[in-house]
Amino acid sequence: MALLVSAAIGLLTACGLYLLLRPRVFSVILGLTLLSYAVNALIFLGGRLSATAAPLALPGAVGLADPLPQALVLTAIVIGFGMTAYLVALALRAKGETGTDHVDGAPPTDTPPGRAE
Amino acid sequence: MTHAPVLPILLPMAAAIALLLLPAANRRAVALVSMLTQLVVAGLLLVMADDGTVHVYRLGDWPAPYGIVLVADRLAALMVAVTSVLGLAALAHACAGSDRDGRHFHPLFQLQLAGLNGAFLTGDIFNLFVFFEILLLASYGLLMHGGGSARARAGIAYVVLNLAGSALFLIALGLVYGTLGTLNLADIAVVLAQVPQADQALVRTAAALLVAVFLLKAALLPLSFWLPHVYTAAGAPVAALFAVMTKVGVYALLRLEVIGLSGAPATAGLLQPWLPLLALLTIAAGTIGALAARRLAGVVANLVLVSTGTLLAAIAVGTPTTTAAALYYLPHTTLVTGGLFLLVDHLARERGPKGDTIDNGPPLPRALPLGAAFLVLAVAVSGVPPLSGFLGKVMVMQAVRDAPMGGWIWAALLVSSLVVALVLARAASAFFWEAAPDEPPAAQAEPALTGRRTVAALLLLVAASPLLTLAAVPVAAYARATADQLHARQPYIAAVLGAKPDVQRERRP
Amino acid sequence: MSPHALAALLLAPFLGVPLVLLLQARGRRWAAWGAAGAMAAGLAILAPFVSAVLHGGTVVMRWPWLPEWGMDVALRLDGLGLLFAGLILGIGLLIVLYAAYYLPMNDRLGRFYAMLLAFAGGMLGVALAENMLLLVVFWEITSLSSFLLIAYWSDSREARVAARMALAVTGGGGLALLAGVLLLAHVAGSFELSEVLARGDLVRDHALYPVILVLVLLGAFTKSAQFPFHFWLPNAMAAPTPVSAYLHSATMVKAGVFLLARFYPVLAETDLWLVLVGGTGAVTFVYGAYVALLKNDLKGLLAYSTISHLGLITLLLGLNTPMAAVAAVFHIINHAIFKASLFIAAGIIDHECGTRDMRRLGGLFRFMPWTATLAIVAAGSMAGVPLLNGFLSKEMFFVETINHPAFFGAMGYALPAFATLAGMLSVAYSARFVHEVFFSAATADMPRTPHEPPRWMRLPVDVLVALVLLVGLLPQWTVGPILTAASAAVLQADVPPFKLAIWHGFNMPLAMSAAALVGGLLYYRRRHALFALHARFLPRLASQVAFERAYRIAEFAAMRLMALADRRSLPTYLALFLGFTVVLGAWAWHSATPSSLAGPLPWGETDPVTWVGVALLAIGALGTVLLHRQRLIALVFMSVAGLVVSLAFLRFAAPDLALTQLSVEVVTIVLLLMALRYLPQEAVAESSPALRWRDAALAGLGGLGVAALCFAMLTRPFDTISGYHIAQSVPGGGGANVVNVILVDFRGFDTLGEIAVLAMAALGLHALLDGLRLVPQAGGTRTQDRYPVMLAMLMRPLLPLAIAVSVHIFLRGHNLPGGGFIAGLVIAIALMLQYVAGGIDFAQARLRLDYVRVLGLGLAIAMATGLASWLFGRPFLTSAHGYVSPPIVGSFEIASAMAFDLGVCLVVIGAVMLALTELGLLGCREQAPAQGEG
Repeated sequence: MALLVSAAIGLLTACGLYLLLRPRVFSVILGLTLLSYAVNALIFLGGRLSATAAPLALPGAVGLADPLPQALVLTAIVIGFGMTAYLVALALRAKGETGTDHVDGAPPTDTPPGRAE
Repeated sequence: MTHAPVLPILLPMAAAIALLLLPAANRRAVALVSMLTQLVVAGLLLVMADDGTVHVYRLGDWPAPYGIVLVADRLAALMVAVTSVLGLAALAHACAGSDRDGRHFHPLFQLQLAGLNGAFLTGDIFNLFVFFEILLLASYGLLMHGGGSARARAGIAYVVLNLAGSALFLIALGLVYGTLGTLNLADIAVVLAQVPQADQALVRTAAALLVAVFLLKAALLPLSFWLPHVYTAAGAPVAALFAVMTKVGVYALLRLEVIGLSGAPATAGLLQPWLPLLALLTIAAGTIGALAARRLAGVVANLVLVSTGTLLAAIAVGTPTTTAAALYYLPHTTLVTGGLFLLVDHLARERGPKGDTIDNGPPLPRALPLGAAFLVLAVAVSGVPPLSGFLGKVMVMQAVRDAPMGGWIWAALLVSSLVVALVLARAASAFFWEAAPDEPPAAQAEPALTGRRTVAALLLLVAASPLLTLAAVPVAAYARATADQLHARQPYIAAVLGAKPDVQRERRP
Repeated sequence: MSPHALAALLLAPFLGVPLVLLLQARGRRWAAWGAAGAMAAGLAILAPFVSAVLHGGTVVMRWPWLPEWGMDVALRLDGLGLLFAGLILGIGLLIVLYAAYYLPMNDRLGRFYAMLLAFAGGMLGVALAENMLLLVVFWEITSLSSFLLIAYWSDSREARVAARMALAVTGGGGLALLAGVLLLAHVAGSFELSEVLARGDLVRDHALYPVILVLVLLGAFTKSAQFPFHFWLPNAMAAPTPVSAYLHSATMVKAGVFLLARFYPVLAETDLWLVLVGGTGAVTFVYGAYVALLKNDLKGLLAYSTISHLGLITLLLGLNTPMAAVAAVFHIINHAIFKASLFIAAGIIDHECGTRDMRRLGGLFRFMPWTATLAIVAAGSMAGVPLLNGFLSKEMFFVETINHPAFFGAMGYALPAFATLAGMLSVAYSARFVHEVFFSAATADMPRTPHEPPRWMRLPVDVLVALVLLVGLLPQWTVGPILTAASAAVLQADVPPFKLAIWHGFNMPLAMSAAALVGGLLYYRRRHALFALHARFLPRLASQVAFERAYRIAEFAAMRLMALADRRSLPTYLALFLGFTVVLGAWAWHSATPSSLAGPLPWGETDPVTWVGVALLAIGALGTVLLHRQRLIALVFMSVAGLVVSLAFLRFAAPDLALTQLSVEVVTIVLLLMALRYLPQEAVAESSPALRWRDAALAGLGGLGVAALCFAMLTRPFDTISGYHIAQSVPGGGGANVVNVILVDFRGFDTLGEIAVLAMAALGLHALLDGLRLVPQAGGTRTQDRYPVMLAMLMRPLLPLAIAVSVHIFLRGHNLPGGGFIAGLVIAIALMLQYVAGGIDFAQARLRLDYVRVLGLGLAIAMATGLASWLFGRPFLTSAHGYVSPPIVGSFEIASAMAFDLGVCLVVIGAVMLALTELGLLGCREQAPAQGEG
């Protein structure tokens, strides 16, 4: 189990990272989303897999899952959502400003070098 | 003032909310009032922290480590104070008109401050992440304020890089909780000290990932290339405020000292072998970048890298002395670089179409006052006597003398001082002396910044370095005390968890 | 006299700076008086100390400042300091007077005097510093003020470049000096001179001695324009003549030799010192003298002669014999006097004739006999003519060259011969100065017909030349005491007995002088051959052109380097970050105490469901990657992956997560779909295969790392604090759903931050899209054509239903999976469906909500709930709870935290709706142009 789950998360991460390195914003957004899936799952697994019951402190409940990572993941999901929404808007704005959805605002050419401007 | 530690976060938040609900008319007033109040509160915190007590604020009245605590120790108070001063200047400058270039400048600005102060004050590592996100998202908004293709370009890079950073931060946090089972910094310190042999590699790696995140924020080579583009693309007040953003990364790294990063068996020697070298290269990169920059803003942006390198070079050594030196240098470099960004805006507007390109332009109407300001800031930032830049540099040099690579750090600092001085002299020559007579004082695209507020803002930051020099004794003493408190660690832990920590843990699975 | 008066002495010129700036408003005369006053005040404060110091006393004052960092305000006044202070203030006074006449009438002088006084202050600081760091501080202040003064006439390009050149050389030297001083203090164990000077042997025997020596010498040589750092000085002549006379001959350039003299007891008297200092001095001495003759510019000639004389002083200090040191001090005095007067005279000539070019000057003796006479006397002193002060120190020098301990046997003649040769050269250029300017009427085409300058303008020359004669005729009586005191200070020991007299009888030195005079004159007669030679063979490039070229090259190199290092490409930045992290992580694991990846825990049985899930997940993820250019399809695959993740949450006992993930998923997909309308549906493959392999490798490593860490974590047990949360959830938090209680209570502060982020995201998005116009791309998802009526009919009643549902979710959230966030999303999705069904205009017409205000309101409620606890004297966000049983819903526990949750709910609605409406509006901007700041 542990191995399989870890492998799955690793795969998600790798796919996310690969897309993150693509030169188009949309791919980058996809990548970041995949990456966030992986990350959320990882945090969640911080509470381990053994639990059998949802963390509801009902009388006589046993084997509750670790609630803390779940709370953290919830926060992470929401923040991630906000970030994605913002990045989408930024991508559109950049499209409007530069006319392309290339992450560098222009397909790579040998533009004037090294000027911090 | 039992609530003092939470005020630097709540005040700007409340202000932001008010700014969302209030009519547009009196936004500036609200923002400025909030900013001034924050300054007062920051002063209060400094005073409270200066007697050495570590003030702990238990949010929701839950005992640590189960709830979230805010911890106002000397270091946090110092950072909050620096931020408020810089924030006040930046805000005053923005109120000259650039705040109207787009929507929601003021709420975002306030939330940016809330995020910064929160990051400095929180004693909980996941809460630190949350505040990082707040200050980042605010900085995205502020960076894009006013629009334009340059900002869009820089914005995408900045946002995506930081999102990647946030993802890494979460991975690290997941591992930290998944191994140490707690999020409270003081509690982490306790647990970290007794990590079983078998888990040390895992914990060490998690810590390394955290460090990587903080170094991305601090813009250490090779994670620094984004910075000049972003800082030059941002509007002047935003760039000025950003001067403290890199310091957040530096601060976070310093804060890890509390959990015993350099002391605990699992994480000992995690930085020393490589950080000094990279810090050195960062100084070099910043210096070369400053030499290469065609615009004054570009020069200043690269100077931010130099200051990052200097700070990290000192911190990497990790002795109380180096920390003390770094902590005297930190306020100086933050305020001075911020001031330079504002000054660049003043100059650029007076030069009209020429902007801040380093090249002869029209004669400046306000050559003398601006020239004087330039002289002070240039002397301060290049670390030439007699201002605080020199003091800071001398302190750092003495502190790292016996450290590995100490000689190299000396060389880097001195050479960079000289080059920076020459670059700024070249710029001064172009701006103030090489007035091209054929060009009349151009019909300016934007009005010159002669408003009372902007001048005051500039003065505030120009005066910073002389004041830090005159007040060198108290400031240096505070820095030293802060460093000692940080490295002692016990005061912090005891204040948060009590003298004899009794934390109930349960083994999973 | 209290030693603290030294501080006053040091402050006097600095206080003058603002004074003259104020006074200039009342006219240049006032400014001049102000400056003179400052200098005079300094002299007045100095006076009371004189007798004590002349009798060998040393006045020291100490104000501890930053002792921990070795920085204290400590000043000392000994013979050497007194000598320099006297020169600085005395000559300074004369220069102030002279400048008032020299500078054009339209110059208000305030700025000039301000800089001049700042320099004087810095120079005094160098002379009086007891703390070595203080010395460095003032040292650099002189560099800075010299930079500003050289560029005083900033219209001239020469001046500007010369100023930067001087800054580069002297400033750089200063930084080397800083390093040297820090090391010296480290070795000697103190920053205080009086202690360091006493520890010469300790320093000289230390391994770091050569390093320290070289660093300090770099400082001294750059400042005193020693070969090969001399080139900045001739260019500095672009400064107004008063500056040249004051800084670049009498005082600032003397700072270098002052430094040598200052550290003589610590660093001198080693062979290394003899070679470096003596050698450099000798070369500079001859080189300067040789070039001086070739200069047609009056100031150029004087500049090189200055270089040469500085070389002589350096050489004397380098000889390592006490008497040589005495001669050096003596020559410092003499040179300051005659060279200042010569510069001032040159300035007068320039002022009167409108040129400094000796080829155009001539026969001035007729026009200004008095000035001429004075200048000739000074020049004679420069050449070392008997009865003038220059002669005496040169005689001492000759004496020292004869039978110097380090030069014996045949070598014994080398040094004297060399000295005589150098003497000849200086005679030659002095002769040229006198002859070509005042006599040879050969080619006198002067712009103006000169005449004697105003009396006050000439006064400084009168005074200085009077001194030349006085010292020359009555040395023992005039300079004897100060020379002894200063030399004692240099040697930090008893001065060997010496007799200052004009006549020592017929002896070797006298012969050498005679030889130098005669030879020099002969050499001068044959000069034209030499000039021709140089005109032919040495077309030399002006050093400032060279400097500017070097600077440009450095700039260009920097640009190329940055261009190589920084391609301005985000993928590269990300790759660097990823690579850095992977390496650091791997190293961190490797450098830890070795332990196996797998921990003690059993790996656990894998049930088929999980297998299927993982398989689906793999398909989703890989599909997204492989088809990421067909964007719609990629989106579908991605959502599959997301769906699996949320199901996994359900499977592993995290219903809240499942719900949230799912609803967020929906909204995200919708956002992306709406965005896709404005982006190309298909992207071309643009990154090269090599690049893709690199990325694949990096991504693979990253994934591998995460998998490994995750596995290591899963197979290890850990101790968590979360037991407390479960235990306290009901009694402390008033809710059974521990996750929700953590969110709104235990860690409510996180949630407050989280909704702040959400709100900001919406605001930022609003600011970004506000007023943005985009044309939908061909083949975009077509939400803009006619809306299916059926769907609309279906959707209308859905809204109230959805609201009811979300209220339920909200209320139970504290005890069962649910809560404000999910409730908010449900409402948002329902509203969103209205848009999809009815179209943006329909929705706009019916939902007149200012979502920005909704955001504000939500935040306000959440915050107010938190603040409410202050009323009960509790910290922020402290919650309270109790039971209520309203109708219908039935009895349930209500906690103040639920108000907080309501805030969350509102923020979620506001944020999501703001985002959706803004995105929706993009298409139809034409109809509805954006209104201004709202």
